Amino acid sequence: MKRYHRLLPLATGYFGVSSALYDFDGLVVIYGPAGGAWHINIEDEPRWYRGPATVVGAGMLEMDVILGNDDKFISNIVETAKGLKRRFVALSGTPISEIIGTDLKGFARTIAARTGMPVFMVPTAGSEPYPEGASKALLALADTFMDPTAPKRPKGVNVLGAIHLSTGKEGHLEPLFQAIQEDGFELTGVLSAPRPGQDDPLEGVRQAPGAAVNAVISTSGLALAQRMHADYGIPYVVGMPVGLAGRATFLALLHGENPASPSEPERPIPYRHALIIGEPVLSYGLKFCLQRDFGVRRVDVVSVTPSESLFHESAGCVGLLAERGPADLDTDDEARIAGLMNASDVDLIVADPCYQPLLTGATTFVPLPHLAMSARIYWDMPYEYAVDKGYKYLAAQLHGTE
Amino acid sequence: MDLNQVRVRVEHLRDKSDFPFAPLEGVGPNLAGWGVIETCLLLPQSVAVMAGPSACLRHSAFMAHARGFTDRFHMLCLSELDMTLGNHLNKVEQGLADIAAQHDAKVIFLIVGCPDYILGTDFTGVIKRLEASTGKRIILGAMAPITIGLKESPFTSAYTSFFEFLKHEPRVPDNGVINLLGTFMPLSDSGELYSVLAAAGMDEVVQIPLCPDLDTFTRMAHARASVVLHPLANGLSGKMEKEMGIPTCFAPTSYGFSTIREQYVKIAKAVGSPLDIDGLEQAARQAAEPLLTDLRGKSVAVGCSINGSSFELALFLIECGLEVDTIFARGTIKPYEWELLARLRAVKPDILVYNASHPALCGQTDTFDQVKIAYGVDAGIFCVNAANVPLSRYQEQKYGFEATLWMLEQTHEALNHPVSNYDWIYGHNFLI
Repeated sequence: MKRYHRLLPLATGYFGVSSALYDFDGLVVIYGPAGGAWHINIEDEPRWYRGPATVVGAGMLEMDVILGNDDKFISNIVETAKGLKRRFVALSGTPISEIIGTDLKGFARTIAARTGMPVFMVPTAGSEPYPEGASKALLALADTFMDPTAPKRPKGVNVLGAIHLSTGKEGHLEPLFQAIQEDGFELTGVLSAPRPGQDDPLEGVRQAPGAAVNAVISTSGLALAQRMHADYGIPYVVGMPVGLAGRATFLALLHGENPASPSEPERPIPYRHALIIGEPVLSYGLKFCLQRDFGVRRVDVVSVTPSESLFHESAGCVGLLAERGPADLDTDDEARIAGLMNASDVDLIVADPCYQPLLTGATTFVPLPHLAMSARIYWDMPYEYAVDKGYKYLAAQLHGTE
Repeated sequence: MDLNQVRVRVEHLRDKSDFPFAPLEGVGPNLAGWGVIETCLLLPQSVAVMAGPSACLRHSAFMAHARGFTDRFHMLCLSELDMTLGNHLNKVEQGLADIAAQHDAKVIFLIVGCPDYILGTDFTGVIKRLEASTGKRIILGAMAPITIGLKESPFTSAYTSFFEFLKHEPRVPDNGVINLLGTFMPLSDSGELYSVLAAAGMDEVVQIPLCPDLDTFTRMAHARASVVLHPLANGLSGKMEKEMGIPTCFAPTSYGFSTIREQYVKIAKAVGSPLDIDGLEQAARQAAEPLLTDLRGKSVAVGCSINGSSFELALFLIECGLEVDTIFARGTIKPYEWELLARLRAVKPDILVYNASHPALCGQTDTFDQVKIAYGVDAGIFCVNAANVPLSRYQEQKYGFEATLWMLEQTHEALNHPVSNYDWIYGHNFLI
């Protein structure tokens, strides 16, 4: 049993579903008591502010649980979905629907029949890591909307796993998108963020099977990449390029080339042992940057969501911007993380600001918000991680200058 | 969706069933304040431990951290499977014992969520053993929105549970003591109500958020009367009246001169002594006049996240010549507000009352473009051109005629130096 005191428990499955589907103009129904959807919107989805109803709650009450009342909820969802004219309906489970065994798959079929709309369910409860929910949601989105006959785009790249709980505001990814395009690629689909200028926010999803390669930038996109390799033969690269060396290596991998050998770091820093705490793909990108760009000899990664899938052999994976070290580990246990942060030889920590109160000494702390931890608290904080901008941010934090 | 589905004219709002039905919870900005955790932690020398799935804990943790309760709040993450199988009881017991050993608090609130509530988990044995081994009181509570509307709300239950620490106190009535219940932030130090009560012989005012320890808290048992400023405290005051003989009155925060006078009359009756308020009312009326001059004729919306009743505030603003055309409400209109609604019907039947949690209302702002002043952060989110006056429970707490003046001063401050609704919500945390 995990215990928390200073930290927030990380976002869980249905938060991940919301994060993955939010920008696609659908209706996400959190099937549970009142309050679940409310808190997602108020705390974890800053995109909610003054926006249309996207994540809504079923508002189940005690007697609904006892009596079932499935017909009532199906009718309520049908009425709302029709009235709001959204592009699809997604049903996501909660602890209550898990415990009482609600047949959300049956709900989805019935609602689809009564609305004529695309409807799918995402099996979630309330304890699983959020990437699991996001991953399932992206698969469901793909099953529902991807067009297997989409025209082939030899330079097309899909970016998978771009969910705000892992990557923050969409603007943080723009340097990456720009780098990909400047290198001769074109962005086909970004899951989960429609590209500007698209009338149909699902256009990128529909066209995604035509891309030549997938870039997986968080673990939430991994299962979809594997599925797309199996279904469409699209290979994929896993990694979040942070900094200059990360950018060069990532782009080489996308081209199917061997990355250049590491060179001497441009601006060595006087830190010897860094600890990175966060989402695994971004954390390994940061590790790559701290080692190659800044010359930090030892960098350990604490993945707060499962990272094993990154290192599994997979036929479709043609490049991985992550190298597991002997001291890297997966844990979101508050006491264990506090112990690692306060180890006497750790002199640099990169993590969400929520972790800072766990620090008892004067170790250098570089804040890098992870929405799945801090929700909206640091949403507006200025920070960067992707490619050159990530390098500049870290340089400013570590050197005091860019 | 047609907006007519989400609103009703005041003249047609006579019963709960008239309120526009929201088929799903559209997450309107309407639940500000009073989480179960912050309610529990009003009790001095207490800590709260919440046990449940991570998803449920995350919500409460966010609120607890935002309100500065981190040191007194702990969480135990449980899986749905463990809860269903009852495998979590030992884990919760061990977790509570460990946390109890870290704190010198005298009371531990064990807060469980909807799953344990629905499963009917019996924590009696756990609590009994823990009370014996730790010497601390363990109070079981629920943060269970699944119970909304059927019985006493989880917030009211938590507040009412404070009675456990009063019921064994030998009551020695002290005419100089009075309880003010239902405040989260205490009334401002130099508040009008203090002077009114002191003039009538009550110079010891007990407010729970100001009690440094349980000994001070138990002074409430000796009070001459209890004054309830927020409906949350009606359960506790009712028990204190029924089982301890402490007279009580419900006199919620109000903004209109006539309703404020009514509240003072209720207080006077509860304490059994007249209160001298004529001079205060006269002075407030005079001071309000210049503040109202510039506001007359302005289009106003009133939301349900304000401290007090949106219907009461609307009534007063109309009486003062402002153009209230919009009210945002939830389906939980409080019993005392139906009388206020009847008065509103009589003076301005065409006011539109919106269900702030209706999904069709989310993102609708054009309809409210004409509104110049929006009271409550919930109204502010829809009224994009309005000066937003939060009147939040987390701002200064005023009571009596000074609340009227404070509200008007806040209005002018918002008009002259506007703070965006976004900042009120995300910078000041006035929505959680």
